[in-house]
Amino acid sequence: MKERYRNRIELLQGTLDLLILQTLLWGPQHGFGISRAIRANSGDLLQVDAGSLYPALHRLEKQKWIGADWKVSENKQEVKVYRLTAAGRKQLMKERSRWEQISDAIGGVLNPAK
Amino acid sequence: MKLRWPWRKREIELEKEIQHHLQMAATERNERGTSFREAQASARREFGNVDLVKEITRDVWGWRWLTDIAEDARYGMRMMLKNPAFSIVAILSLALGIGATTSMFSIVYGVLVNPYPYAHSDRMVHLTGYDANGNRGFPNLTGPQLQQLRQATCVESVAAMESWNLTTTEGDLPEDVQAVYLTSNSFVHFGVPTLLGRGLLPSDAPEGQDPENVAVLGYDFWQRHYNGDPNIVGKSIQLVHKSYSIVGVARPRFTWGDGEVYLPLKITADPARTAFPMIRLKPGVTRTAVNAEFQSLLEQFAKQTPSHFPEHFRVAVEGLNDHFVSDIGATLYLLLAAVALLLLIGCGNVSILLLARGTARQHEIAVRSAIGAARSRILRQLLTEALMLSLTGAIVGVALADGMVKMIVNWLPEFSFPHEAAIHINLQVLFFSVGLALLTGIVFGLAPALQSAHPDVARVMQSNTRKMTAGVHGRRTHNILIACQIALTLLLLAGAGLATQEFVSMMRVKLGYDPRNVMSVGVPVHDNTYLTWEARKNYFHQLLKKVSELPEIVSAGVSTNATPPENGSELNFEVSGKPAAEQQSARVNYVSPEYFSVLRIPLIQGRVWDEDETIHGLKLALINQTLARKYFPEGGVVGSEIRMPEMKGDPPFRLVADGSVGWFQVIGVVGDARNDGLRNPTKPAVYVPYSIRMPVWTQILVRTEGSPLAVLRAVRQQIRTVDPDQQAGRDARDLNGWIEHEPEWEQGKLIATLFGGFAILALALAATGLYSVISYTVAQRTSEFGIRMALGARPKDVLLIVFRSAAVSVAGGVLTGILLAMILHRVVARWFQGSSLDVLIFAAVILLLVATSGLSCFVPARRASSVDPTVALRYE
Repeated sequence: MKERYRNRIELLQGTLDLLILQTLLWGPQHGFGISRAIRANSGDLLQVDAGSLYPALHRLEKQKWIGADWKVSENKQEVKVYRLTAAGRKQLMKERSRWEQISDAIGGVLNPAK
Repeated sequence: MKLRWPWRKREIELEKEIQHHLQMAATERNERGTSFREAQASARREFGNVDLVKEITRDVWGWRWLTDIAEDARYGMRMMLKNPAFSIVAILSLALGIGATTSMFSIVYGVLVNPYPYAHSDRMVHLTGYDANGNRGFPNLTGPQLQQLRQATCVESVAAMESWNLTTTEGDLPEDVQAVYLTSNSFVHFGVPTLLGRGLLPSDAPEGQDPENVAVLGYDFWQRHYNGDPNIVGKSIQLVHKSYSIVGVARPRFTWGDGEVYLPLKITADPARTAFPMIRLKPGVTRTAVNAEFQSLLEQFAKQTPSHFPEHFRVAVEGLNDHFVSDIGATLYLLLAAVALLLLIGCGNVSILLLARGTARQHEIAVRSAIGAARSRILRQLLTEALMLSLTGAIVGVALADGMVKMIVNWLPEFSFPHEAAIHINLQVLFFSVGLALLTGIVFGLAPALQSAHPDVARVMQSNTRKMTAGVHGRRTHNILIACQIALTLLLLAGAGLATQEFVSMMRVKLGYDPRNVMSVGVPVHDNTYLTWEARKNYFHQLLKKVSELPEIVSAGVSTNATPPENGSELNFEVSGKPAAEQQSARVNYVSPEYFSVLRIPLIQGRVWDEDETIHGLKLALINQTLARKYFPEGGVVGSEIRMPEMKGDPPFRLVADGSVGWFQVIGVVGDARNDGLRNPTKPAVYVPYSIRMPVWTQILVRTEGSPLAVLRAVRQQIRTVDPDQQAGRDARDLNGWIEHEPEWEQGKLIATLFGGFAILALALAATGLYSVISYTVAQRTSEFGIRMALGARPKDVLLIVFRSAAVSVAGGVLTGILLAMILHRVVARWFQGSSLDVLIFAAVILLLVATSGLSCFVPARRASSVDPTVALRYE
């Protein structure tokens, strides 16, 4: 328990958006599924708590980068499934390149080129 | 509500989404081996605070502020309903203040500032003259004189009017119709288009010829007599056996001369026919210039028709409204001041209530702050609650204003304001008072949050605020507010006391005659009838005889111009053998001998003339005691001679016994009867037989056993037996009615009633404010009192403590009020015509205020002192 707590990195708002958009690149998914996917793909390191996830999802929906549909699941339940929109795809590309820029910049400071 | 739906839908969707998430998380754990219940619990724990998540998500939608406000509103409504007494008092205080202020101001505005619908009414004037004694008169001009007036340099347009009572000869009894004859240019002169049809045209009254028989109906008459028939134009109306074609209907606000029908006026060169001029001045001329020009013009006219003018006069034109302003202007402003006070008191009340409640809520606010409410959130909540209260108060206030305007307009004295005034709610003042009320609500509603600038949350929460008295700041504000309220209330009470004192003294004034069971029936004689002195004298005599035949009538007499309490024509007189050092004038009354017995005016000396002497038009006169005392100090009244040189005939209108009237023989003295209104002392008066000078109307005074108005119909029928076309004047009133219709009576009644009403309201409001403050203070100090009583204080001591804390503010208020009253006394006394507030009444009013305050303190104090100490100590 304690270890998980320590490993939990506080995700900046922009970064969470990036992760969600990236996850949806692999196909539509519901909220729970998105959080599990992020956790799995990060090797259990990034655990998004619901308090950050759902506001982020609704914010992205409001900005029309993701869209939402209500589907009926196997056990006859109504599920809200999110998908990436065309605009969202573009935004994902933008965020990725920005992330890489920052990453390179930080890397440049940590490992200064000789 | 359209806004609710998408939001509601989203709420439901979010709930479903979260539930789904929790379920999936639980299932996942369950599959890994945890028990179902444990899985659910742990899933929920991992999720976190569901409501918090919901709230943050709602934030994203941007609707959060709406839901917040709705929440606040619902909470505010709950709070209002939970403390009904508080809410009702606060709402009523605001509503009364707003209602009273708006209605009074609307009336003042409607009556004084903008009453007329006529074009450029500020340039329209009445031709007015003052004779040597300062009596005001309105000269009438002949046709040629009117033409000359038109040429005057300062005049833009002149029209003229005559008014007369005609009769509709269509019904079973002839009905009185007020007819106003207007020159054919009048409707253009006024600039008010008609509602239906057309106004009078120049073609209706061509120069030198008889005018066409056309008529324009007044709006009210059209409604009343023809039920507002929209096809009325083209129909005809029969007036005194002449048929007039109806060509139009005037607008509702066009009521010049209170005319029911408007007929074309014939302007001739005949010097005996005059008309009342209506003048519109050119823009930019000053009153002095106008008066100067008219003075010289009228002096010329006086040489042409000397019988129409007093010997010496001074012209001073009056604007349309000047007369009314001097009459009732001061009154209305006074009432407006009173009402403004009421508004302040009402706002003060609300302030006190909100402050008191605010102090009690410090605890709740601290708790909210501790849970995590931002300061802005708390402020917004308090603001919403305050606004709800204020808005409700404002709405009730608007409704009240509407009702009060209607009510007060009904009470205004009949002729004290121009009938054209359309009095309705003045929007600017409405917005102002509503704005003020809202501001008060907001400022004092927010006070508790603003007060706690540094909410030391922990300390406040722990120390259980209710046990402490409010901080010094809160107490001082309370005290100041209460003192102000009480001072203002004292002012209003003093004003009410003065007004009532005035009115009561007027009611008790000695009249000198007995008005009970007496009525006066007007008899307007038709044009071109009874044109000789003999004929008219006999006609009046016959009328009196016929009316007296009725069995229900105790006595009847003729009183041409002598119906009290304001009667007689002011004329100069001379006493033979006593040369006059200065102008001496008296009220001259034309009456029959029965007049004195009908009114029960006592005969002090000598005798009254008899019927025979009346018929012969003998020159006999009676004088009243005032005249006797002033001009015959050593006696010798009976046998002396008196003459009124201005008493002249004016055929065919005013007929006199001989060509010029000479010396009268004084045959007695009668008691004084009020003849110059209710407040002024009786003027010197002379009574002569009515046959001496007869205008084209007269009045018959009738005394009956019971209510005189019940006999009116019989009287009218008797009149008809003498002349089948003769109608009785429309306003037959009993003499008490004459008194009560005197402007000073009605004004006095109006002021006394309104002031009294406002004062009582103010007193109730102030008492409630005081009660609320004391109640809250006592509630807060309950455990303190418990401790005191446990330590040995008696209930009486607790009572004293409470009283003492209130005494300071009440005493301060009373003293300030007394000071203000004395300062304002000079100002107010001028309007009440120099009378001053009886010291006893002032003292009584102060006592009333102190007693009411005492009672307001007593009730909660008693509650405090009667609480069981153990309960008080444990009180949370």
